[in-house]
Amino acid sequence: MRLLSWPLVTQLLLAPLVVASARASEYNDYSENLLLKSLPGNSILASFRFVSNGTFDSHHSVFPRSLAQILQQSQTKELHLKFTLGRWDAEQWGRQVWDGRTAGGTGVELWAWVEAADDSEADARWTTLNNALSGLFCASLNFIDSTRTIRPVMSFQPAGHHSPERLERLHLLHGTLPREPVCTENLTPFLKLLPCKGKAGISSLLDGHRLFDAQWQSMSIDVMPVCEENGKCQLQMEQTVDMVLDVERSMGKKDSLVPKPPPIEQLSCDQDKPYAGGDSCFPLSGVTDLSWSLSEMFGRPIRGSCPLAVVPTEEATHVCVNIAEQRAIFVSQGSEERKKSPELRCFVLHGRGPNFVIENLDFDIVLPELSPSTNILLTPPPVYASRSLTGHGQERGGIQAVLNNPSSNSTVEFVYLESLPWFMKPYLHTLSVTVSGKDDGNVVQDIYYRPALDRKRGTQLEVRLRVPPGETVLLNYEFDKAVLRYTEYPPDANRGFDIAPAIISILDPTSQKSTFSIRTTSLLLSLPTPDFSMPYNVIILTSTVMALAFGSIFNILVRRFVGADEVIGGGLVSKIRGHIIAFVTERRRAGGNKPKTE
Amino acid sequence: MDRRSFTVIIAAVVLRLAMFMAFPSLPDLLTNRVELSTPVTSFKRLQEGLFLYTHGLSPYDGGVFHQAPLLLAFFTTLPSNPIVVYLVYILSDVLSAYSLIQIATSGVSVSTPYHTSSRKSSAWPPWAVAAAFLFNPFSIATCIARPTIVFTNTVILTAIAKGVQGQGVAAVLALAMASYLSLYPVLLLPPMVLLAYDTLPAVKKKECSLGSFAAVLTSVFTFAAAGLGALSWGITGGSWEFLASTYGVHLLLPDLTPNVGLWWYFFIEMFDSFREFFLCVFQLHLAVYLAGLCLRLRKQPLFVITTLLGISSIFKSYPSIGDTALYLSLLSLYRHIFPLMRYTFFVTSTLLYATLLGPAFYHLWIYAGSGNANFFYAITLVWSLAVTVLVSDAIFAVLRDEWETERPEMKGKEIVQI
Repeated sequence: MRLLSWPLVTQLLLAPLVVASARASEYNDYSENLLLKSLPGNSILASFRFVSNGTFDSHHSVFPRSLAQILQQSQTKELHLKFTLGRWDAEQWGRQVWDGRTAGGTGVELWAWVEAADDSEADARWTTLNNALSGLFCASLNFIDSTRTIRPVMSFQPAGHHSPERLERLHLLHGTLPREPVCTENLTPFLKLLPCKGKAGISSLLDGHRLFDAQWQSMSIDVMPVCEENGKCQLQMEQTVDMVLDVERSMGKKDSLVPKPPPIEQLSCDQDKPYAGGDSCFPLSGVTDLSWSLSEMFGRPIRGSCPLAVVPTEEATHVCVNIAEQRAIFVSQGSEERKKSPELRCFVLHGRGPNFVIENLDFDIVLPELSPSTNILLTPPPVYASRSLTGHGQERGGIQAVLNNPSSNSTVEFVYLESLPWFMKPYLHTLSVTVSGKDDGNVVQDIYYRPALDRKRGTQLEVRLRVPPGETVLLNYEFDKAVLRYTEYPPDANRGFDIAPAIISILDPTSQKSTFSIRTTSLLLSLPTPDFSMPYNVIILTSTVMALAFGSIFNILVRRFVGADEVIGGGLVSKIRGHIIAFVTERRRAGGNKPKTE
Repeated sequence: MDRRSFTVIIAAVVLRLAMFMAFPSLPDLLTNRVELSTPVTSFKRLQEGLFLYTHGLSPYDGGVFHQAPLLLAFFTTLPSNPIVVYLVYILSDVLSAYSLIQIATSGVSVSTPYHTSSRKSSAWPPWAVAAAFLFNPFSIATCIARPTIVFTNTVILTAIAKGVQGQGVAAVLALAMASYLSLYPVLLLPPMVLLAYDTLPAVKKKECSLGSFAAVLTSVFTFAAAGLGALSWGITGGSWEFLASTYGVHLLLPDLTPNVGLWWYFFIEMFDSFREFFLCVFQLHLAVYLAGLCLRLRKQPLFVITTLLGISSIFKSYPSIGDTALYLSLLSLYRHIFPLMRYTFFVTSTLLYATLLGPAFYHLWIYAGSGNANFFYAITLVWSLAVTVLVSDAIFAVLRDEWETERPEMKGKEIVQI
């Protein structure tokens, strides 16, 4: 075996794959690319995108068969599944990549268009879909029951191509699990859906330790039918992984996995502070652009290119880096640079060495340190949104959403969607929408409200709003907190209950279709809790009071009154006393004689 | 109505208006108190129901509003000015007081065709009875918190007032309305029939036996209730949804918001497999007193009604202070038997204790976090126990009063029950 050199073996093994990749290019089956964008504060946005096309019936498709079967079984025509952790800091990082389409709310979010004749059939298929996906992605998707499912009316429109007849039979269902901890067990099945399974190509960078250490990360799967002009349709699956990595934190892992504070001489301190100098330090961030490289950020370099990925054309490339023009960039060999603009440098990985032999070389990017720090121009999102709980105590509370339109000249129109659990009982009559502190009737365009039913379904609130340029809208409402049965509380009842993030869908002014979406953070709602150790005590004490009432009332009702001096016989004590008195009188009467024996 | 009663009513109206006007935040503060507002009577929930109803949404297709459809129809006709709402609630209390004055004036509480109390002279005059209701802090707080139990109480008192005046049909019509509003007054039908029958003139009694009288009134009641149901069906746009969302909630207790009663914590802590069984037991427990009281206290049906209201203020699914206020106001008609009661000090002090500590313990549980649910639960137990002792003690006193009428020589002597 040692006769063959390693590169030769790889070459032999990969030969059929090269043919396949040539065929793949014809059918445009699979493509992948990575965008690295520098964000202020020494953060890097890494956005991985994998697109596979295929059909249900094909045995040679890159479209994963496991998912295709689930979609077929549940008659799902379009599917969107998001696993998200953390908060996208729009104030600092600007608008999200891909217009926010690939980012979900904290936890797991799933929505799908299911083909069914009526609502009950749609519900049954939705349950099938949830259970199957739950198994496929090792997530608690099977807990999306009727209380966590809503049917949004204004917020979502199908993104795929559906025939008009089919559109009429499609039912949109939407479910969220804000509490779901997204972790490695969800990443592994996600990577298995990729043709190169995370072994080669850009997906080889995806490692649970780095992904789930990110400040914000989102994994998303979008499946939809895509039709060409000639009427040929196929399923398109777009998988994305977006994450924001803190360079300083990631590079710190290079030396040791346990985070350690940097020594004082390495800290850059703000010398303008009055207490500066000596042992006090107000740390400055963003003074310099720290140096980083792919292999240090992700723990490994890109391991060659995925042979199944489409050979990139002039437009399509494998890796793009969006950094300031001044920053230098070094790349390892086996790639070809295509500069699209001064700030966007892209690379094609062909994996060929100096002699044009396919060696599947590792690919790495190194950026040296640069001072002072540089920033690329960030565009603000269409709306800045934040949402918080108001009030105190465990009886009732309120929700306040702050929605700001940063644009200086254009009005923004969007739908604000809330999906609340049933134990949060909002009062719609308390809903108030104010612009700059005063009521404005023109802000609210439309409201769709479906109240919750105890233990059956949650609340769905969709509000369509128009926010004038530069204005901030406050949306407030009050709610009551329900007390649950003690078996309905989770084991850590006092931690609180997670409330799903609100979804803000920016509408296109002409088509009224959603063009951008934003999620607020999830909320933690504390409910009043009973004493979980008390069931027997409560049953006993309450029953005692009831028995006391029953007993005392019926005791009075059924017994007759007599004077105390008229009692004959009476109770045991009076009987005994009577016997003793009788005995004593008998003795006295006998005058010391022997007592009679009777 | 004499001049004194009139003065009492005017004073009560002024007091309530002053409370509404002088403390503008008081109504909303009291509305949020669990002791005064329950999920089936809360004014805030009524507002939510009205909001949904006026915006074309069915308020019964949701978990917030559980009140009768006629209330919706009534409140939509009112102007949305809060003062009008205050006046409606004050008017309701005035009507209740007027009914109490009528009941007290009729003297049914001291003398019925079968029994005349020997302590007749010590009963309170009508104005005092009205004052005992109107100036009871529980009644005032209930009026200001604006739960819809206020209307139920008014209708129940109207029904009794009609009953003591011998207008049986009017009485059961009012009772049908009360049952329509909050279900449990349906238990008052048998004593109400007896009350109305007893006040009939002797001539009429000969014409009409108790059996046929009861049959007529029961069918009137049934038709009235069915009519109200049909009317509600029309109001809610031809849907029977409201039945499950109003009476279903009374019966099945889906909303476990704390209140002064015994149900909420019991069903929070109940094991799922026994929930249905205990729901049946608790509902039957309310009905079980009916036959016993009607038979034993046949001579005084008004007292049967009073006692049943007392029992349901403890053991109904969503009781509030307003129910207890109604019981206490009817009990004030029986001032003459108070000397025969044995535990008045215990009851008074326990009620005061629960009234003062209840809000404190609720605060400790919900807001301060330094107590747990057991604190408030313990207070509801004490409260229920106090009212229970009061109810049974009142029964004892009334029965002793009856017995002393048979045997006047036993007055003031020690007695026992065998």
